Amino acid sequence: MKDGLSILKELAGKIHPLPEAAMEDFLSIWMPFQAGRKELLTVSGNIEKYMYVVLDGVQRVYYQDDLDREATIVFTYPPSFGGVLDSFLLQTPSKYNFETLTPSSFLRTSSASFNTLMEKHHSIETMVRKGLSGVIAGLEERLVEIQSFSSEEKFRSLLKRSPHILQLVPHKYLASYLGIDATNFSKLINKVRI
Amino acid sequence: MTLISSRALMNYLEQTTERHIQKAIEDYQNMDKARLLKPAKNGGWSIAQCLDHLNGYGHYYYPLMQQKMDTYREAGETYTGTWLGNYFVKMMDPDTGKRKMKAFKNHLPAPDLDPHEVVSEFIRQQEQLLNLIRIARHRDLNRIKIPISLTKYIKLNLGDTLRFIVAHNERHMRQAELAGNVINVINVKNVVE
Repeated sequence: MKDGLSILKELAGKIHPLPEAAMEDFLSIWMPFQAGRKELLTVSGNIEKYMYVVLDGVQRVYYQDDLDREATIVFTYPPSFGGVLDSFLLQTPSKYNFETLTPSSFLRTSSASFNTLMEKHHSIETMVRKGLSGVIAGLEERLVEIQSFSSEEKFRSLLKRSPHILQLVPHKYLASYLGIDATNFSKLINKVRI
Repeated sequence: MTLISSRALMNYLEQTTERHIQKAIEDYQNMDKARLLKPAKNGGWSIAQCLDHLNGYGHYYYPLMQQKMDTYREAGETYTGTWLGNYFVKMMDPDTGKRKMKAFKNHLPAPDLDPHEVVSEFIRQQEQLLNLIRIARHRDLNRIKIPISLTKYIKLNLGDTLRFIVAHNERHMRQAELAGNVINVINVKNVVE
């Protein structure tokens, strides 16, 4: 998995440059993992066992209520970290599910290995802090979109961030992510195309 | 009788279904209504009609398979294609059953379809089928019996049923592909107008 590790190295370096020894340790804790389409990797109620590095495919974290209604919270695609991060870091039961939406490949690591390295290398902990700050910024931006954008603006913004997503992911998940009705979603596609 | 390793069979069925679902996500869900509803050049079914026909089968078979697999949970290593199962699969498989078939009355597509709803339901069902195939890897493919959609008096084992369904999907996905490929006069006229 040399290829996967060089992707991870670049991803980590962009968040916070690590000294050589820390980077070497950091790269040593990951194992390759593959999953097919629509495989449930984390089930709500369980503690997230892994942090993932997404090398290929699209996944989502979603909430499911007791009437089986779903809300898609976040999509992940390469190169990025994935999994239910709050549950992984706090080691508390996840409120969310994590599943693949297309065939996917990852690197993943356990919380034990991850925590050991955060304690060993201050630079790794700094990287995690900076990474999480970026996650917060992303979530705030998404909250603004959800609360103040029209459906069409949300749709356009999604397409701008990830132009190929219409050909990759079933539209119902995109509609769920944007918080709009599936019927309205097909109308939006026609409108925006013209 | 043919003896097949369950694992090899399930790999084949999963790959084929993955291809079908990819086609629907990449192309069909992004096509405009007119193109999805356009009859094939030979006057045959449109893309939407092909998928709706498959949805009719899925609607019958998928919940039934789920229910049987929830009830009978023993695993099996190999699978034996039965004479009747092989006959049905051979007839359905577009590579071996070349003869044109007429759809049974209760499996004819509806005349007024919402094409995007049909595609969306097709994708939902294919995701469901992928999951069923994965569960079937841990079930006895010979022991579980599923009545066919036309009559409850004929039953196929789970392995035969899955092979039949995927062959049937392949048949109509090819038909849909042909219906979608043809750019005929009507389409050009729409663009001009």
